[in-house]
Amino acid sequence: MSSRRMFTRCGVVALLLALAGAAQAEPYLAAQMGLKCVQCHVNPTGGGLRSVFGNAYAQTQLAARRIGGDENLWTGQVMKFLSVGGNARANWNYSEVPNQSGANDFAVEEARAYFDFGVIPNRLSVYVDQRFAPGNSTNLEANVRFWLTENTMYVKAGRMYLPFGYRFEDDNAFVRQLSGINMQAPDEGVEFGIEGGAWSAQLAFSNGTAGAPEVDEGKQGVLRAEFVQSAWRAGASAALNHTEGGDRQAVGVFGAYRAGPVVLLGEVDLIDDDTIGDGGRKLLASLAEANWKIAPGHNLKLTHEWFEPDRDVDEDEQTRTSLVYEWAPIQFVQLRAGVRAYDGIPQNDQQNRTQGFLQLHGFF
Amino acid sequence: MVEDSTRCLRRIGFSLAPVVLALAGCTAGSGEGLDAGGRPISGPPAGNSDFQEIQDTIFTPICTVCHAGANAPVGLRLDAANSYAMLVNVASVEAPGTLRVNPGNPGASYLVHKIEGTAATGARMPANGPPYLSQAQVDLIRGWIAAGALAAQQPGSVLLVTSSIPGPAETAPSGTNKLMLVFNAAVDPARANVNSLELRDATDQIVPIASAVVPPGRANVVEIALGAPLAAGSFQLAARGSGPAPLADMAGRVLDGDADGAAGGDWLIPFDVAGGTR
Repeated sequence: MSSRRMFTRCGVVALLLALAGAAQAEPYLAAQMGLKCVQCHVNPTGGGLRSVFGNAYAQTQLAARRIGGDENLWTGQVMKFLSVGGNARANWNYSEVPNQSGANDFAVEEARAYFDFGVIPNRLSVYVDQRFAPGNSTNLEANVRFWLTENTMYVKAGRMYLPFGYRFEDDNAFVRQLSGINMQAPDEGVEFGIEGGAWSAQLAFSNGTAGAPEVDEGKQGVLRAEFVQSAWRAGASAALNHTEGGDRQAVGVFGAYRAGPVVLLGEVDLIDDDTIGDGGRKLLASLAEANWKIAPGHNLKLTHEWFEPDRDVDEDEQTRTSLVYEWAPIQFVQLRAGVRAYDGIPQNDQQNRTQGFLQLHGFF
Repeated sequence: MVEDSTRCLRRIGFSLAPVVLALAGCTAGSGEGLDAGGRPISGPPAGNSDFQEIQDTIFTPICTVCHAGANAPVGLRLDAANSYAMLVNVASVEAPGTLRVNPGNPGASYLVHKIEGTAATGARMPANGPPYLSQAQVDLIRGWIAAGALAAQQPGSVLLVTSSIPGPAETAPSGTNKLMLVFNAAVDPARANVNSLELRDATDQIVPIASAVVPPGRANVVEIALGAPLAAGSFQLAARGSGPAPLADMAGRVLDGDADGAAGGDWLIPFDVAGGTR
């Protein structure tokens, strides 16, 4: 190995170690590494643009192999004060509903670009998350983030994804749909966050309209806290959305545990919504997931979800079981194949459908 | 002390594994005693209109997984109590120049674009598809809109107001100059006029109503145009079921304004108008 290459590799390792107290990833990856979300993403609550660490991790650790030399590491920083990133997911989908013939299609699940203008490095940033497909260009996040103290306390204001539970990539997970806080429904407000030691905590106030214009005086408050250790983590979320039509309260607990190459994740959310039906409803959703890192770049994910649409009604529960294989052959490329089986009441065909998909995921 | 704490924390970590495994054991319900929407079967079926069928077979069982409650995406609630008022003649949030449901014109209705996957913005609905709605389901919605997007009929009952824009206790946007009432049956156009309605402000002064009409092809709706945009403040709209000019349906049944099961009484809708601009 040439001295230059050795020097570069040492630099990459040093970079990873130097940043290892501060970045974020997909929940199971974060749990696998024993790191916080803020480790791999510029957004302290995860998702969106990857940090220098996140990009370095994607190139040196995540994939089965790496193309190119160590001197060509992509960091996301295209200019001194500007970092960019993106995600594109192209799918082939298959679905089968009882009493209907099967259907399949090719579809662009998403194509998004992220821009982070770090006008005061490590302190003040203007962040934009723009979705270009499907459909016309749509802004999903646009906010200002100011670190009151570097890497410890921040305030963020504008349009953003609110912090609640785990930010799973799968927005159709019952826990993501039930909470109403997901990648389809950014809200406008302000968020305060602390990243101190093993703790990660956020407090946010927003319109509570899931992207719709605010129509009343009521607002939503969300609180999320997580305690992160190397092999395990646990946290809790709470949200209160006050509207003139009634209140919506949500509480949730979540956690993860790493046992060798296997990471277990779990989340349970309970919603009490006065605005549904006559007199309101109590809903419950849970998720249990096991991720097995078979080899570098290979992950097998088994997920079981449970949804209780009304705790006062018996025998209306639904489940969703998924088996997904994820293969990252080279850096910034992921191939995913999976099946999802829904199981619900027999009189509702949609609740008993089966889906399959192949996905090419490119990201940087 | 430190060792005890570490041991305790490790114990918490180990206890997470069985919790996750326990979550994996939850199963689906048998559906016994429930309708296709997962709600208990009780009482007679609610009407038999196209909209009722759409509600029962599409909105309730499929869409309300997300589109319900205070955190419904883009504020669109599709549960039975809210869907009609939030769809018909309401501007889309994603494409403000387009109505979610434009009565009589399915091609110009954003709802149709969203379920057919031709919307300019965002993903095709339902978001957890495929599968998406079948062609028969899309045709049902298209047909309902083409026929005027009528509200669900409640046969054999009295004439009632089923929803309004703004709704009771809601805050209408600044500059509001139109109101809308939706009934459970076709309203007699000859009896829907400025005399069958009354709007008062917070000081109990009457606010002029320019016109009140049943629009063509939308027999269940009364559109109210005001003489001028409403100023910020509180208002109360009264739909008359009493007095010299009560509202009535095509069968001559007078509005049951006080919802006591018998004709008569006024239907009162208090609402606010926001001040300033967003």
